[in-house]
Amino acid sequence: MAAERAGAVDGQLFKRALLGSLSWLSANHEEVNRLNVFPVPDGDTGTNMLLTLQSAVEDIKESGATEVSKIAKLASHGSLMGARGNSGVILSQIFRGFARAVEGKTTLTPVELAAAFEEAANAAYRAVNKPTEGTILTVAREAGRAATAAAGSPDANVPRVIAAAAAGARAAVLKTPSQLQILREAGVVDAGGYGLQIILEGMLKTVEESEALLGSHPQARAAIPAAVQASIALPEGGWGYCTEFLIEGTRLDVEAIRTQIEALGNSVLVVGEPELVKVHVHTDDPTRVINLAGGYGKLLKLSVGDMSTQHKRIREGEGAPAERRPNGVGLVAVVAGSGLVEIFRGLGVDAIVEGGQTMNPSTQDMLSAVESVPYDEVILLPNNGNVVLAAKQVVGLTKKRVRVVETHSVPQGVSAVVAFRADRPAEENAKAMKAEAERVQTIEVTHAVRDSRSNGLRVKKGDVIGLINDKLEFTGLDYVDVVNKALGKLGPESFELVTVYRGAGASDEELAKLESDLRSHYPSLEVEVQQGGQQHYPFILSVE
Amino acid sequence: MKRGFAVVTDSTADLPDEWRDSYSIEVVPLKVLFGEETFRDRVDMTDQDFFRRLGAATKLPTTSAPSPGEFAAVYERLAKDYDSCISIHLGAQLSATAEAARVGAQSVEGFKVHVVDSETVTMPMAFLCRIAAESPTMEAAVAAVEERVPRCRVLALLDTLRYLEMGGRVSRAQALIGTILDLKPLLLVADREIKPLERTRTRARAITRMVEFLRTELPVEHLAVVHGQARDEAESIAAGLRSELPGLEIPIGAIGCVLGTHTGPGALGLVYIKK
Repeated sequence: MAAERAGAVDGQLFKRALLGSLSWLSANHEEVNRLNVFPVPDGDTGTNMLLTLQSAVEDIKESGATEVSKIAKLASHGSLMGARGNSGVILSQIFRGFARAVEGKTTLTPVELAAAFEEAANAAYRAVNKPTEGTILTVAREAGRAATAAAGSPDANVPRVIAAAAAGARAAVLKTPSQLQILREAGVVDAGGYGLQIILEGMLKTVEESEALLGSHPQARAAIPAAVQASIALPEGGWGYCTEFLIEGTRLDVEAIRTQIEALGNSVLVVGEPELVKVHVHTDDPTRVINLAGGYGKLLKLSVGDMSTQHKRIREGEGAPAERRPNGVGLVAVVAGSGLVEIFRGLGVDAIVEGGQTMNPSTQDMLSAVESVPYDEVILLPNNGNVVLAAKQVVGLTKKRVRVVETHSVPQGVSAVVAFRADRPAEENAKAMKAEAERVQTIEVTHAVRDSRSNGLRVKKGDVIGLINDKLEFTGLDYVDVVNKALGKLGPESFELVTVYRGAGASDEELAKLESDLRSHYPSLEVEVQQGGQQHYPFILSVE
Repeated sequence: MKRGFAVVTDSTADLPDEWRDSYSIEVVPLKVLFGEETFRDRVDMTDQDFFRRLGAATKLPTTSAPSPGEFAAVYERLAKDYDSCISIHLGAQLSATAEAARVGAQSVEGFKVHVVDSETVTMPMAFLCRIAAESPTMEAAVAAVEERVPRCRVLALLDTLRYLEMGGRVSRAQALIGTILDLKPLLLVADREIKPLERTRTRARAITRMVEFLRTELPVEHLAVVHGQARDEAESIAAGLRSELPGLEIPIGAIGCVLGTHTGPGALGLVYIKK
């Protein structure tokens, strides 16, 4: 009986498998974050994948669909809306490919499941401009191949196919350092690939349990809420209000309350006794949550916290231009740091999506900002290399005509916005903005977050490091030392202006020292100091 | 003994002294006020003195148009030697000068004054004056000048928009001013408007873009480079343009105190009359 049931994947099994993946990735995403090839603080691959996966299962949680195609479609849509970071976007494409492969199918045989895994990997390859081996793409492909091989054996069943996929992924992950030099130098495996391995392992754990339990212990499904509980630890973002309270009543049905609250928000925690239930939820509509809970009993210790100022700002339409632009083109930029936000506003950006190096905004965040702008054409500036791919996804998700000007840094973003002209059509603007962005050189100064080797440099945790145009070039004793090395490499005689964006981590003394040093070393350079307020990078310099 | 028509303009034409002398062009000064002190543009104060004083001033100067009475006095004096004049002035969208000239002209009997609102500023006005002075008759002069007014352009690079903004000649929104970052705006005076064209972060880039914009405006009939305390840059831009556009003379002009009050130091302009 058990073998027969597990011989095919239906909607509910696939749903449980995805929830199992979420649970397993929740437990392990920090480990993925630590697989940081680059000693800069961008180790958020695990978090990005987790947030993407969480978004993928968001709509599935309430779905009772028995068709695997329906669940796969929900996962595809949800992951696309929540995709963050490069790995997250690729993961969303994997879901998309899977959903396409199973279209119209109620259940999947082991062979069909393996084929869907393969098609998922193919879709991911197609989505990337220049596929690189030794990344999540390779891992997805190897998982698919292993699954297909397992499906061809006479005793094939669903758990064995998934087990083969997970094993194939694991083997591929271990090989990634031999395929990518940066991984080899840093002594790590590929983070995105490892994340995918964890997702497949999470599925495997679930289906193995299902197979063992379906026959005799149907109530053992209680293992699933672990996924929901794990989501509490997620970084907050994307949901408007953190809403918390206690419900005091009699014979409260914790399960029923949880189910209803889950429909209204994210990061749901509903625990307690029949007399007192603690509720925690991140929701866009706290009033509905409160009204719903009020029906069960008396509410105590109610607190509603606005978590996402970015959403609030978009709703209130702050930053909307006073006059309508003649060209009908809106500007949306991804920026973090209070000073930088003000600078981009001052330059005429209509909506800001807060995010950047360590917190990549989701496609959904950027889509909301694009929709909030009162123009049908929008130019979107990601301002970070890790945000570009997610930004590009916005193009296909809105009726608006969106152009992504691929800015990889704050200085590039500033140059691009400065070049924007309100009397010029969007296409011409996008071209001119891209061209201006490419004229500027970016120097970023930060601390290494781990020991590493990168670009031939040995870096110790805590070292001051300098990056030119995203590439690690220097290590040094202090910020000024590193900035001087970087400027020396660029050749300051060919430049006119250095703009220093001072981050939250730089002291007044450090700023004063840097500024006076720049002025005395390079008297012909104009030096402008701006309070950027960005995290992790004490100094970002724009050289032009 | 009356002889033909006179050509009158105001000090914002930045008319080169040689042109003024060889064509006998009458220049009515606008005024610049540092606190209580009033100076007649290019009469009581040279552009050099002005920018030196501007740099030291704690409070920015203001400017004022000549009064109708001052225009009337000029026209009355000219009436002795001429039977009419063409009076070519700073754009009415920027100043009350042309209106003051018109009112002043009404009080002078027996002398025909044709006031032209040039819709522009600085050396396009000087070119218009020279075209008028070279015309055989007053009617021909008026026709030649008025036909060119809509084709006059001032492409200006300001080191900062602060002066223009404080002088009330451009709104913040018009200029798309970045409130925090130091930007180099490129403006175009055309069609009775000051249009923001582009913003750049560096002066070198702004100069490049200014010349590139000019190329899209070719062919031009007359072209000059004007500057406020930026002669070297003006010379090098003019030299480059002369080799690129061999048919044009491309004189260099220094902007006076009144215009300088609104541009601040370091302004550069490519000014031209389109063909």
